Amino acid sequence: MKKVLVIQEDIIILKILERLVSLNNFECKAIRSLDELSIEDQETNFDFIITDILFEGIAPLEFVAQVQEVLLHKNLLIVTNMGQDKIKQEIFALRGITGFYAVPIDLDEIEAIIQAY
Amino acid sequence: MNEESILLFIKIVFAVLVVYWVSIAVSLIYRKIRRARLKKIETTFADIVSRYLYNDPKDPLTFDEIKKRLVKVGIRQRNKNNIQFLIRLMIRTQRTILGRNFSKLQKLYTEIPPYGVSIKKISSWSWYKKARGIREIYEMNQSQYFDEIFKYRDDKNIYVRREAQIALVVFLGWESLRFLPYLKQNMTLWQQIKIVEKLYDHYPKPELKWLHKAYETEKLFGKKLLMRIIRKYELHAEIGYIIDNLNHEDYEVRETAIYCLQTFAVASSTMEYIKQLYDDIPNTTQQGQLLNYIYENSDIDLDFYLKQLYGDNEELKLSIAEILWNNGYKEKVQEFYYQQYPKATLNVG
Amino acid sequence: MWDSGEGFFGSYYIYWISVLLFIGYGASLITLYLAGIILARRSIKRTKQRSIFLRTEDVVSATDIPSVTIIAPAYNEGLTIIENVKSLLSIQYPYYELILVNDGSKDDSLKKLIKEFDLERQDATFITQPIPTASVKYIYRSRQTKYTHLTVIDKNNGGKADAINAGVNFANTELVIFTDVDCIIEQDAILKMVRPYLEEDDKEIIGCGGGIGIANNSIIKDGILSELRLPSRLIPMHQVVEYIRAFLLGRMAWSEINGLMLISGAFGMYPRKRVIEVGGFNPKTVGEDLELCIRLRMHMEEKKIPYKVVYLPETLCWTEAPSDYNILIRQRDRWARGLWETISLHKKLFLNPKYGKMGLLYYPYWLIFEFGAPVVEFLGIICMIAFGIFGWIDWPFAILLFFAAYLVGCVFSTIAIFMYVKSFDHYTKPKQVVELLLAAYLEPFLYHPFLLFGQIKGYYKKLFDITSGWGNMTRKGFKVVKK
Repeated sequence: MKKVLVIQEDIIILKILERLVSLNNFECKAIRSLDELSIEDQETNFDFIITDILFEGIAPLEFVAQVQEVLLHKNLLIVTNMGQDKIKQEIFALRGITGFYAVPIDLDEIEAIIQAY
Repeated sequence: MNEESILLFIKIVFAVLVVYWVSIAVSLIYRKIRRARLKKIETTFADIVSRYLYNDPKDPLTFDEIKKRLVKVGIRQRNKNNIQFLIRLMIRTQRTILGRNFSKLQKLYTEIPPYGVSIKKISSWSWYKKARGIREIYEMNQSQYFDEIFKYRDDKNIYVRREAQIALVVFLGWESLRFLPYLKQNMTLWQQIKIVEKLYDHYPKPELKWLHKAYETEKLFGKKLLMRIIRKYELHAEIGYIIDNLNHEDYEVRETAIYCLQTFAVASSTMEYIKQLYDDIPNTTQQGQLLNYIYENSDIDLDFYLKQLYGDNEELKLSIAEILWNNGYKEKVQEFYYQQYPKATLNVG
Repeated sequence: MWDSGEGFFGSYYIYWISVLLFIGYGASLITLYLAGIILARRSIKRTKQRSIFLRTEDVVSATDIPSVTIIAPAYNEGLTIIENVKSLLSIQYPYYELILVNDGSKDDSLKKLIKEFDLERQDATFITQPIPTASVKYIYRSRQTKYTHLTVIDKNNGGKADAINAGVNFANTELVIFTDVDCIIEQDAILKMVRPYLEEDDKEIIGCGGGIGIANNSIIKDGILSELRLPSRLIPMHQVVEYIRAFLLGRMAWSEINGLMLISGAFGMYPRKRVIEVGGFNPKTVGEDLELCIRLRMHMEEKKIPYKVVYLPETLCWTEAPSDYNILIRQRDRWARGLWETISLHKKLFLNPKYGKMGLLYYPYWLIFEFGAPVVEFLGIICMIAFGIFGWIDWPFAILLFFAAYLVGCVFSTIAIFMYVKSFDHYTKPKQVVELLLAAYLEPFLYHPFLLFGQIKGYYKKLFDITSGWGNMTRKGFKVVKK
């Protein structure tokens, strides 16, 4: 079964994304911060990671760089409230980002990407 | 002042102290219970919304079930604070979602409590409640109350009128530009930001006729608002309006014009015009900002930069020298520098 | 004794005039504090109500909001510099830059920074210096995209004020925040601090401060305060209460009537344009934060531009307080000298109608009640000893009066703690609150005398022109939990 990791501090977005992913027949791990990751999770190669960039104690760019470095994954989607063009450009400059979605988002777009995978 | 009166005073002060001790204890207990309750409501609501938006046909979620779950966590008409928290969650959720799910959420909100809470707030004498009511109405897209809100667009309280103006944008879209740039009261930066964002979120397709009509405004906030709209929608054809305000007499209008201009690249003829306006800007910092824009968006115009280097504006000469130095004109900088300080050596590079 | 001294120098009159003066001064202070509580309550309530209409989640997603630079000067901070910079970099704001100014450190701060953040040296020749400072050697920027918001300025030593001025020169954002590099800033601090600027209406905001809290013995993880604990030692514990009282009651009350003359140097936000207009911080005074705020206000008064200085009730910045008497005394000695210098530097403000309320009310308040309090208190002690020796004091009555005054002080501290507990979730355990209350009640005996000593020492140095600098503030450092 294909695996998706959702990391969002906002519990409402987290639950919605978790539900979206699960109903599309993906195995979903939904967490509110990287601290909740188990050792097993850290060894999993996720088909998608859908994450925010705003977390306590780490700068947005460094967080994305850390996720890229620490977690095995095939696609990285950013869903964030801090979605200004400037931030988007900085995030893409890190390379290896599949998509960047600024809140408010059309969830159908994310669903389409997952379904097309 | 005698001993008795001091003793009486001590007794009174001590009684006050005891009252505050009790208040602290009550506050601690209340906040602990409250935090737990709010967490419960938030988790339940997150679960309801996620299940509702992505309903599992095998385990469907009905409105009755939703209502029961909400009542169970304390969403009852008499628990006003819980209701208010639920409204906050509803607005928060609605603001994060667009498209098909946005409409689904709206349907959900019409089916679950609270019912008609926001409109009641509008008739309140308190600015705080009134503004909150207006906010809830436009965030929840309850357009049936538009007429009620419209009259508050120029209210003397800044929060009431701000929320009413945003409501105007949400319900009228581009047509709201018939009113907004002409209001009597000033519009703060946040008001302008919110108006532009709401317009963009709800009405992404520009309707230029309203924009063109609004150009007639003489209100400073109106000019700033229109420039921000042009910037947000990236209306290249309207850039002339921004350029015309580059040398406006008001500092903030110029500031907004320079800021908005930075979103656009312009044709070389327009850039020449901007260079002409450069000298008319009475503030050095703003000239510096415009200089950066000119440098980043056009080829090196040696004559323009040399004119500035040998001009009267001492504060920007270093920036101009840097541009020339980094773009193959070191000798021009040295020439200028030696002329200024004949005995000095240039310690660069 | 009384009879024998009665005729001597009209001692009866001296005694009663002194007593009346002291009681009058005390009563005025109590009245002002009471007014302060009422104003602070109003101010906190209004700030809370306003925040409903401008939530941090609205600001974080907005475009067109002002850009902000945090400027943090560092001198010999090698031990903690990496953690500190990472902590400052993690602050959440979309248009944010961090400028760290290495003020000629003699330790390995710069070397560590270069290594950790992969810094690249850039030429500093063409930096414009609207505010003159000690010369800047080089500018450093990271080669890594993830540290794109960081700039390190390496300059010759010129002191804290000079280092901040160098940062202001280099910054190119609308707003600048000044802080100490070892402060722990709340993640959403800038999002909250820009609110007044976004809501600026008919009055320009020329300064905004936020509450500062004491975090001795607290747990720091990933550069943020993961667990706020009360200090284990009594001195910083007293300071927790002192800060709560000062920020929640004092600053909020002054903010309500636009009477703020001070934004703490540990955390304050200003429009860069205005800071440059007044020539930045004054490096010649040790009370540079107070001095800048007063100078900015004077500048606006002189230009006749309506303005406001505001404070936010939330604790947005956590710092480490002196943990022993020696360091505490040194700190208060410096603050007292800073106050002396600023008060004398701007003496033309006193009752000067040209500066409006600042000249007629706020400056006189600072002169009489902030600058004057230690002097009056010191004189009070001397008088009490002298009158006691002469046997003029009715001790039972004096003790009752003292107890009444003490209780009033306890009430003020209790109200401050109540308002803090009611408004914020920092101290939520009953044990913590009881400890805070006890610290407040012991403060007049175990803490306040040392403050007074430090202040009088500072005044003494100024009076007799004894040269003294910033004084070392030896910090123990927070408890840092590594990942």
